[in-house]
Amino acid sequence: MALRAAVLRHIRLPVQTLTATGSRPQPQWSFLRLFSSHDDHLTKEEVIDRVLDVVKSFPKVDPSKVTPDVHFQKDLGLDSLDNVEIVMALEEEFKLEIPDKEADKIDSCNLAIEYIYNHPMAG
Amino acid sequence: MSGATTAAYLARRAAQKERVRILYRRALKDTLNWAVHRHLFYQDASDLREKFEANKHVEDLDTIDKMIVAGEATYNKWRHPDPYIVPWAPGGSKFTRNPVPPSGIEIVYDYGREEND
Repeated sequence: MALRAAVLRHIRLPVQTLTATGSRPQPQWSFLRLFSSHDDHLTKEEVIDRVLDVVKSFPKVDPSKVTPDVHFQKDLGLDSLDNVEIVMALEEEFKLEIPDKEADKIDSCNLAIEYIYNHPMAG
Repeated sequence: MSGATTAAYLARRAAQKERVRILYRRALKDTLNWAVHRHLFYQDASDLREKFEANKHVEDLDTIDKMIVAGEATYNKWRHPDPYIVPWAPGGSKFTRNPVPPSGIEIVYDYGREEND
């Protein structure tokens, strides 16, 4: 009995390291929100990943140059009509309907990611 | 007059470029409405892009204006009668389907309870 107590005193399980990595913002409470219908907004990483995939699969674009900060016309050397095509591809990817004036202003990956992330109906 | 790059010339050119971009966007969406199958759409989209690229190097403002007006007339002529619009957008099937109820209205769930209970 005393041996068991002594052994237990010396064993420490590494439970704390799981939540200390910080990979999830709310480690205790995130499982409570999983089945709520209000939790279906896209995460920023998911938006960034999908936007970069769409831009990389554009035939006139060199995939190795695509970063989340890239400007379509200045960095990737695309045309303004190519810009329009990329915005249309993003609309199809996220099932959005972007008004013409807003779509004209989307010039870089940054703006696209911000717009899609802040859109309430982005799917 | 149109040879010198004055501010008015650049402003007109910028406005024309914006009109061209919006026209290209609408024409591309229209092409997708007409050609639902993707391989047909790619072919039609390439043709549309060729048409826009052929007039890329025109410099005269009036010619550009006339071409834009002609392009918009062609677009209006070929508009699809039943375009695909995303459901929650204006013109889509789910638009204002479940509007937000007006504020101040509340359902009181008293289940028929009376005051003398």
